[in-house]
Amino acid sequence: MKIGKNEFKLEKRTSLSGWQATSIAVLAVLMTLFLFGFIFLQAGISPGMAYREIFSYAFANKHGLPLTLNRFIFLLFTTYAFILPARAGLWNIGMTGQMYAGALSAFAVLYAFGAQQSKSLELSAGLVIPLMVLASMLGGLVIGAIAGYFKGKFDTNEIVLTMMLNFILFWLVSFMIKEGGLFMNPGGRGESFELPPSVYAPLIGGVPFTGLVAVLIGFALEFLFDRTQLGYQIKAFGKSPRAARYAGIDTFKIPFMVFLLGGAIAGLAGYHYFAAVPGVYKIARNYGQFGDLAFYGIICGLISQSNPLASMPVALLFGGLSIGGRFVQGKLHMAFGVDYALLGVLMITLVAFQFFYRYRIVRVSLDEEDGHA
Amino acid sequence: MLEFITRSLDASMIFTLAALGELIGQRSGILNVGVEGVMLFGATLGFIVAQTTGSYVLGFLTAVLIGGIIGLLHAAFSVVLGGDQVVSGMGIWIVGFGLTTYIGSPYTGPLGMERIPAVLGVSPFFFVGVLLVLITWFVLQKTSLGLAIRSVGENPAVAEVSGIKVARLRILCETVAGMLMGLAGAVYALNYNPVWNYNFLMGWGFIALALVFFSMWNPWFLLGGALLFGTMWQLSLNPEMVLPGVLSRYIWRTVPFIVTSIALVLMSTPWFRTRWGAARPQALGLPYEKD
Repeated sequence: MKIGKNEFKLEKRTSLSGWQATSIAVLAVLMTLFLFGFIFLQAGISPGMAYREIFSYAFANKHGLPLTLNRFIFLLFTTYAFILPARAGLWNIGMTGQMYAGALSAFAVLYAFGAQQSKSLELSAGLVIPLMVLASMLGGLVIGAIAGYFKGKFDTNEIVLTMMLNFILFWLVSFMIKEGGLFMNPGGRGESFELPPSVYAPLIGGVPFTGLVAVLIGFALEFLFDRTQLGYQIKAFGKSPRAARYAGIDTFKIPFMVFLLGGAIAGLAGYHYFAAVPGVYKIARNYGQFGDLAFYGIICGLISQSNPLASMPVALLFGGLSIGGRFVQGKLHMAFGVDYALLGVLMITLVAFQFFYRYRIVRVSLDEEDGHA
Repeated sequence: MLEFITRSLDASMIFTLAALGELIGQRSGILNVGVEGVMLFGATLGFIVAQTTGSYVLGFLTAVLIGGIIGLLHAAFSVVLGGDQVVSGMGIWIVGFGLTTYIGSPYTGPLGMERIPAVLGVSPFFFVGVLLVLITWFVLQKTSLGLAIRSVGENPAVAEVSGIKVARLRILCETVAGMLMGLAGAVYALNYNPVWNYNFLMGWGFIALALVFFSMWNPWFLLGGALLFGTMWQLSLNPEMVLPGVLSRYIWRTVPFIVTSIALVLMSTPWFRTRWGAARPQALGLPYEKD
């Protein structure tokens, strides 16, 4: 394209520095906020006011901030579940199902202790809580491992397989909590029995301990990717599975491991939202909406370029935006699903910005070119 | 029982239309994993237009149009920019899921229009579906255009040398693919189950995507697979029709997904691949850049 004496050309990028990746990500987020503003305009609301409401509720309100932090923790777990396979060039879109499996497993522990019979049951927190956490990881791990096993063994399409598992687990949750299911609330409201207060997750400064776990896992993943042999192998496999095989890397182990570990972390998301967030403490009737939220993990993973540390501010921002979005939706009487719309707008921008990860625009002065000719 | 059969046929045709679109796109070498997203767009916008204008025709046209636009965008991203087709496809799905939930929610509820009349006891889309399968098979296998499409999907570099415009053909195929997926969505929302609800598809598009792999990229096998899965889906909704009182209805709902998973795994075994793996378009999902 020629403008004046300059010609602009597209040039393929050969590498992308951390700084460049960050600036592209920041631009993508700003672009999203800009585009998302149109949703408010269309609803007859000034975007400036809407954003002020969103951010002040999400980050500076005593009711909103805890919601934001809890969602942030949930998003972090699901983001890690996406990032681990993504580093190996694989798509885990099964964090929803893995998360459900985690929630079901955690409640299975409670069930084993007889917690469905009475909410006032006194259980030993020191025993039951660690068991629930472990069970949730194990549940997610099994579902992740199914996808990883077949990916590694037969190169089965992991997108379709993990999506099928999402639906299977979705209906299994209904089976367990509705119409006489084992975990059904005796009140029969189509939700699970409630957690006895004796095993509510301990809070650290008002935030469930899962927040600390989520942050620690982020650093552990960073260490795994950067400092360990497995991390190196995952990266090599991600660049080219065939080259990895020639380099002696076990091409079954890598897909299996990343899905297995990713699934275990997604399972924690299930424990977190249904057994650790104050005010929830049960598998709610609308659990499907929590499952949908897990897909934010894909977006956070893509924006942070599969960097676990970078995903923290991203998850915090989108946790806040989705909470704040839902709040203004109610306050300003907008249609349901503002947070879903945000998900959509984000994805449009992200796909468009993939372009900038691959190309850059360079300016060639025509005078100079003539001079050389 | 008769109602069960006609409902199954209706369901099968939704799978057929969506999967046929995906098959055409894949034959030209473009993978679109966002079938469900395109269907959601077609279904939601078709539903809104039909309800506000009171015209089925406008509803279906809208769905086909929006499907075509999404297909065109996906093709442009994949072909012109050489982007990652899986990223774009996942994008289509998430955008479809997110935006249609927001756009459609004020229209939650039944369509409230007179049902589309049946022809010879079945929905007219049964004939549309079978006819489109026939046309697709004929074009792909018996015409020079079909040969060009197949060669573009197998080896674009060779096709280009032999004078075929690879980019143009892929864009054309993927646009048609999107139109069919949009139509499939509208058939769901305007005929099969004319009630708008948040994220109502619950996996139809992903099963349609899997059906293309099962079909060995053959439109007739695809029709057969769609009939099987349509019946199975219907059975999972109304298990009491055939096996009253056996298993919870929620367990029945998992059956189509379990069967899809098992079939998908079986098809990826070396035993299967060495025998029938050659049917897969060799250049599927790979960006092609002209030298």
